Amino acid sequence: MIEISNVTKYLDKKNIISDLSFSANQHECLGLFGEDPAVKTLLLNILSGTTSPSSGHVTVQGINPQVLKIKKAIGYQLDRDLGHPTMSANAFLHFIASIRGFHGAEKRARVEHAAMRLELWPILNAPLDTLCTGWKRKVAIAQAILHGPALLLLDEPTEGLAPDQRHTFRALIRSLTQEMTVIIASRHCDQLSELCTRALVLAGGRLVADTPLPDLQRDSRHFQAVTLTAQTPLDLLALAVLPGVAGIEEHRHAPGTVTVLAMPGHNISSHIHTLIASRRWQISSLHQESGRLNDVVHHLSREATL
Amino acid sequence: MKLLPVIFKRQLASYACTPGTYLSVAIFLVLSVALGFHLSPWLEQDSSTLQVFFQLHPWLYLLLIPALAAQLWSDEANAGFLELMKTLPVTPFEWVIGKFLAAWVVVGVALLLTFPLVIIANYLGRADNAVIASQFLASWLLAGSYLSAGCFIFTCVRQRTVVVILTMGLLLTVSGLSSLLDALEHQAPIWVIDSLSSLNPLSRFSSLDDGKFALRDILYFISMILAFLTAATITLNYKHR
Repeated sequence: MIEISNVTKYLDKKNIISDLSFSANQHECLGLFGEDPAVKTLLLNILSGTTSPSSGHVTVQGINPQVLKIKKAIGYQLDRDLGHPTMSANAFLHFIASIRGFHGAEKRARVEHAAMRLELWPILNAPLDTLCTGWKRKVAIAQAILHGPALLLLDEPTEGLAPDQRHTFRALIRSLTQEMTVIIASRHCDQLSELCTRALVLAGGRLVADTPLPDLQRDSRHFQAVTLTAQTPLDLLALAVLPGVAGIEEHRHAPGTVTVLAMPGHNISSHIHTLIASRRWQISSLHQESGRLNDVVHHLSREATL
Repeated sequence: MKLLPVIFKRQLASYACTPGTYLSVAIFLVLSVALGFHLSPWLEQDSSTLQVFFQLHPWLYLLLIPALAAQLWSDEANAGFLELMKTLPVTPFEWVIGKFLAAWVVVGVALLLTFPLVIIANYLGRADNAVIASQFLASWLLAGSYLSAGCFIFTCVRQRTVVVILTMGLLLTVSGLSSLLDALEHQAPIWVIDSLSSLNPLSRFSSLDDGKFALRDILYFISMILAFLTAATITLNYKHR
């Protein structure tokens, strides 16, 4: 589907991307993580064919993405905000649909379908400039999926999205992954942890990790850590000597809350449950973490730039 | 080429929903008629053509064309929109030509709206309608070459005000070319004056305006339009890299 080999990109004689290679198959959902948003955007631009690499080869479905024909197979939601003083979201989507080569009833059906998937009904007739960031993002995504591309590039799609919309967004991405290859660049890695099948971590212009997402989570210090809040004072020593416990973090701002870190390969939650039962601690909340991706990405970027 | 009508329609719609278009066309019409009547006793003369009005057009285009040219790329003034256009399967050629044709049609409509003058001329005396038609065509071609220059200027600079000022400056230079020629007449070698005067769109325009319908003058305007549009396409192509 996508093949990138030895791609290097210079901007103003500065090396932004150096010697990057990876490939992606159909119906994969790739997360593109990294501290520098400019690098991620540049990589997406190269994939979409709007920028050409200084050296190296990029192919999408076996064709260079700068060829006009392949642009029809790519949908790209840009990080930059859309805006137009007079055009409404509906007129904009119709315009994009006609540029994508649809007309008549099919055009209307395509626009309606995309608007339905993004739940754009309330703002369809509002001028683009009057919309807030979250809605603009949604219009931009609708624009990108309108023609049913084989490759969908999303640049910070969750920006400005209200927390209660995250669930619908996740459902949308999941259904899109069934139809096409999705690449999501985001700095909010934890939000994407359930969506992406693979994670690419960029740091210092290099690819520092290309692993399945669960592996990346396993690298986290907090993998399988248990955070508990108690109303009665806790015996930290008893927690610390449990088998498999690597350490304990007290939360300075929330007294009575501790995070118990697990050693790699150990499951400590059952031991903690037994301890709580035997000591009769009053626990108000307890949950097991799946690993903090943000920390891992931050750590990897630090390592790469050192 | 398939997307040309889409861009063309979008640009016409964009002109139609901007008050600035109506304003500049209205100012053009009012000034063209008012100045024509004010500056020459057209009604008293038994004139068969509308030359008194059309000879003003090069100067009135100084107001109309920069306004329309700035509007031409107002969609792309928003950086997000411009970036998005690059991701769509549109070639710069379709993009430039579609936009230019829409603006040219708007100028054509503005010109056609002076039709009451034709009716008056026909009503008052025997009007030479063939000459009037050639004057319309000449004026439209002149507007087209000015517009294509404005189109090209946008591809180099993005700011709206700069586009207006540069277009106006360019057109002023062109309009002032004849006075430059007069000043050079006895100093410069003949070939300089000859080549400059053959480049002068105003002299071409006035020869067409007199009703001398010469193929070479029409070709001059068409080649001017094509040259500027090609330059605009090439610049856009280059910037896409």
